[in-house]
Amino acid sequence: MLLAFGCAGLAGAQEPVAPAAETTVGFAGYPDAPALSVVPRQDEMRFFPCEQCHKFLETESQVRELSSPHTNELDHGEGRLWCLNCHEGEDRDYLVTLLGERIEYNDSHLVCGGCHANRHRDWYFGAHGKRADNWQGERRVYNCAHCHDPHEPALEPRAPEPMPPVRKGLARPEGGAHAPGFPWETQTDSTEEQP
Amino acid sequence: MSAGKKATGGNDVKSRSARRAFLKGIAMAGAAAAATPAWGGRTFQDAMGDFFQKHYLRMSPDEVQAAIERIQRRAQDRFGVDINVKNTPAQAGVVFGYAINISKCKGYRDCVSACVKENNLGRDSQVQYIRVLEMDQGTMNLENGDHYYAPETVPQEGKFYLPVQCMQCDDPPCVKACPVNATWMEPDGIVVVDYDWCIGCRYCMTACPYWARHFNWSEPEIPAEEINLDTHYLGNRPRPKGVVEKCHFCVQRTREGRQPACMEACPTGARVFGNLLDPDSEIRYVLENKTVFRLKEDLGTEPKFWYYTDG
Repeated sequence: MLLAFGCAGLAGAQEPVAPAAETTVGFAGYPDAPALSVVPRQDEMRFFPCEQCHKFLETESQVRELSSPHTNELDHGEGRLWCLNCHEGEDRDYLVTLLGERIEYNDSHLVCGGCHANRHRDWYFGAHGKRADNWQGERRVYNCAHCHDPHEPALEPRAPEPMPPVRKGLARPEGGAHAPGFPWETQTDSTEEQP
Repeated sequence: MSAGKKATGGNDVKSRSARRAFLKGIAMAGAAAAATPAWGGRTFQDAMGDFFQKHYLRMSPDEVQAAIERIQRRAQDRFGVDINVKNTPAQAGVVFGYAINISKCKGYRDCVSACVKENNLGRDSQVQYIRVLEMDQGTMNLENGDHYYAPETVPQEGKFYLPVQCMQCDDPPCVKACPVNATWMEPDGIVVVDYDWCIGCRYCMTACPYWARHFNWSEPEIPAEEINLDTHYLGNRPRPKGVVEKCHFCVQRTREGRQPACMEACPTGARVFGNLLDPDSEIRYVLENKTVFRLKEDLGTEPKFWYYTDG
């Protein structure tokens, strides 16, 4: 029984791969997913259009130190990635997928999804990422790069909003979660003054 | 069934009118005896209207409109602002559900501050509808959760963050506990409070296993320019002091298709909100495809609030 399932699973896994390799159409979204439009981001990019500079520069695929305006920090993929894995070498106004498709910056999730397929699927169906404006009606979602810097995708820790006010006359339990007592058991100045 | 219900209804009306007549008599006597206006700056009509205001569900549309106008006049007196009090009914075929991805929640508390602003909560009171618990990774004991955490940066190493707010239970114990029916579940699944009918006994607070109901001990102190003018009768309208209030899934927003304020504010996109009856909704995808859990599920309160993790 288990073997049969295993075989079926293997066969099922192999089938979709073959036509994709033949056609090289690439990924065209999940048909079952609720319709979505992506909040555009291209206009917010500081250096766009990239070709303003890059049409005068020769494409160099060599891994090397980069100078300003592009920093030398690429904290993504643990050293396995280089610019041209995601950026189109011939026309820098576009991105490129692993299949070689040319992708606009506004559709950059298609590039991310090439590796992060599980997250990409969750994002399509709404379990990952952030929806803009509403829960009903037109579904607009933010792109991957709105939240994650593609060159440094992990989010930095930051300060939280202030903690809730403590009721007057009571102090915040010292030590937080493992405090010796509840707030009403920990004495404050006002009660200590009493004889 | 219907005949029995009718008969009881008739009794209710009879006893209610008797009670009303009794209260009316007292009020009239009191008004006649008092030389100075005891209704505190408002017109006598408004004071009487407030006093005799019925339960929200038993008011006719005209009476609701009159009550709304009184609320608006009171807000004008108290804060000097013109608020808009809506009375949007529940949408047909919609039951709201909420899910939070606790792998994504980083404990920033942006949802808390957005909620305070949206729902006209006192800036200095300890009433906050959302509590974000800081918990040790690998534990699930809510009693060890700390919502007073204040490190320099979050997330802290070895901690995870669990936002808790009203679960909008489908079998809400708070509703059963209320002795005056001042709280009930709306057709879209939101448990709401008629702040004018609440007597402030706080039974619902003890009945709630999630610490989701809050008693406002003081008049909320809100700068007039920060008051949210877009309000709902059952939601974020200015509340009187001494009643119980709670998260209402931002009824003033969600019934118009907008997101609750906490979801809109969440910078990590950890919050998923939607219609549980719509099979294509995001919330349904989460429920059907993610490993979800609810808090204190063994109590049988059927919360419409789920937690899930990545993976």
